[in-house]
Amino acid sequence: MTTADGNLLEVRNLRTYFDTEDGIVKAVDDISFQLKRGETLGIVGESGSGKSVTNLSIIRLIPNPPGKIVSGEVIFNGSDLLLLRNEEIRKVRGRRIAMIFQDPMTSLNPFMKISRQLMEMTELHLGHTRAQAYDHAIRMLETVGIPDARSRADSYPHEFSGGMRQRVMIAMALSCQPELLIADEPTTALDVTIQAQILELIKTLKRETGTSVILITHDLGVVAGMTDHVIVMYAGKIFEQARTPELFSRPGNPYTKGLLRSVPDPTAEQGKLYQIPGQPPDVAHLKPGCPFAPRCDHVQEICHHEFPPFVKLGADHYSLCHFAREVYSESGNPQISV
Amino acid sequence: MTTPVAKSTLLSIRDLKVHFDLGGGGPLDKLIGTHPVKRVVKAVDGVSLDIYERETLGLVGESGCGKSTLGRAILRLIEPTDGQVFYRDRDLAHLSARQLREQRRHLQIIFQDPYASLNPRMTVGQIVGEPLATFGLARGREAEQRVQELLETVGLSKRFIKRYPHEFSGGQRQRIGIARALAVDPDFIVADEPISALDVSIQAQIMNLLERLRREKNLTYLFISHDLRAIRHVSDRVAVMYLGKLVEIADAKTIYHEPLMPYTKALISAVPVPDPQVEATRQRIMLEGDVPSPINPPSGCRFHTRCPYAIEACREVVPQLVEIKPAHFAACIRISPAEPHIENVPPGAAPGLDDSHHKAAQKAQNS
Repeated sequence: MTTADGNLLEVRNLRTYFDTEDGIVKAVDDISFQLKRGETLGIVGESGSGKSVTNLSIIRLIPNPPGKIVSGEVIFNGSDLLLLRNEEIRKVRGRRIAMIFQDPMTSLNPFMKISRQLMEMTELHLGHTRAQAYDHAIRMLETVGIPDARSRADSYPHEFSGGMRQRVMIAMALSCQPELLIADEPTTALDVTIQAQILELIKTLKRETGTSVILITHDLGVVAGMTDHVIVMYAGKIFEQARTPELFSRPGNPYTKGLLRSVPDPTAEQGKLYQIPGQPPDVAHLKPGCPFAPRCDHVQEICHHEFPPFVKLGADHYSLCHFAREVYSESGNPQISV
Repeated sequence: MTTPVAKSTLLSIRDLKVHFDLGGGGPLDKLIGTHPVKRVVKAVDGVSLDIYERETLGLVGESGCGKSTLGRAILRLIEPTDGQVFYRDRDLAHLSARQLREQRRHLQIIFQDPYASLNPRMTVGQIVGEPLATFGLARGREAEQRVQELLETVGLSKRFIKRYPHEFSGGQRQRIGIARALAVDPDFIVADEPISALDVSIQAQIMNLLERLRREKNLTYLFISHDLRAIRHVSDRVAVMYLGKLVEIADAKTIYHEPLMPYTKALISAVPVPDPQVEATRQRIMLEGDVPSPINPPSGCRFHTRCPYAIEACREVVPQLVEIKPAHFAACIRISPAEPHIENVPPGAAPGLDDSHHKAAQKAQNS
């Protein structure tokens, strides 16, 4: 069942707060976005921006206490995941929404054979018998390019390299043909040549299975090559969202612009690198006004005491900034954007 | 072959080796059969390298290639198994502990993990001031003033002097580590993955800070990183390492735009570029498989197991670093100054095996 507008996932006004000694941390604060079937959405942000909490909220893996989804809706295929009972959400997790994490070593059970860990998935969700599940596990390992899968299936995780473990995680995530795959920094712990292999694998599998993907990363290069849409998060808020080519060619938010300029471009001549001054904010003690104001090069008086509006700049392009339109038109005109 | 001699050399590393013996191969091992063959990790295996005064030499490679071990062996934070490190006409690798201690003042290191490299029970003032006391450079009021200056140099407020590391963010801690390295006025700093643990916006700050300090204080850096974009940005020259060996050295721009080694080419083509148009059209060179284990690594050229151009001889002959183009060294028997581009080399040809060429190679290494 698909909603009329072709959205597989729609997150509306999601708020996830954590109760800490330091006070209430608004890790995710009123964010909304959609994901169309078959598309890849990139979520970019620095540590503490709320990108991982957003995705843990979608599959309801927020540890409670201290965390709590305070409000919002997560409409997946027309029904709100936040209203499901615990047994029901368990049937969604792994079966219809699968997740892969950054560190493949800590997300695999070190005491269980690889084959057994893969079999658990389909025995539980698809009702496979042991024999069916075993065959399926081997097939999945072959799909993700584990050489000699049949003989290696009965190894333990420590016998695999980091890249191979991440392939196993992907095999496990895709073994029930989920409709949505959430990949949280899937290549951050890997070497660059292995990263290229894994990203290529995700792309190929996505093409073949039609799975929609949410890709969380801090690497703008990965986003550029992998995604259709991008969300830029900062201090628990969406600062900008746009189609990927538009976000890179014509950013409408000073933070996005700063981020793009602070990544060294290896193909260009080297000058002094642009740097965003200051530190990311302490989300527990946000001042009124725009959270980026202390670091922003477009800052005006209003930014310090009034929270910025979420301005529509074009089809599918929004920016959280008092001066979104100015920034956007500057970006469109490279002469004055220096 | 002519080598540019205009720049003066600060550090000369000659045939440096760091081997870690993992045991095995003894009579008992053979009897039990667990590790009948002696296992040795050749983390650094015969590296020769000159580092010029006031340059940033980038050292790049994948995890386990030995780049951090090399950086530490130069400073003798890890004892080299063999080889020499010449600094001001002294061989650091063979100094006594006491002589080494005097030299350490001139050679410092910045670590990757700003959380693990600062003592959590010392204040910032104590951390940055400790090297001053160790080398007897300043004491009391003077030392305190010097610490304050150092903090301001790296962009921290001098009010922080009584605070503890846990009160700071990752980027600020890295600045504290830099201030500590600068306290003794060194000539040379090994920066071992100094930005890898930091957020993107903070990485740019630290790269710019290191660059400014280099200009102001005439520093020389060995900048170790797996991040090719950062390496390209900060370095004058780049050395590429694979399984304990240097495989290519050239200036940063050349290595990025005209790499000669198949490994370097693959490494550079794997780097994601933050531009969707470039990403949509570029052709990646995909390497098969993983980096082999550094325990008993492949024979001959260590890259032959993954190299699309490998021939039979690559399994047997250990390639030497040869100056293929002016100031551009590569270790591959299949390319030569006459034909530096491996794509154009006739199938099966290995001009690097030629005898005269071999001698020239050895000469270049030893000079």
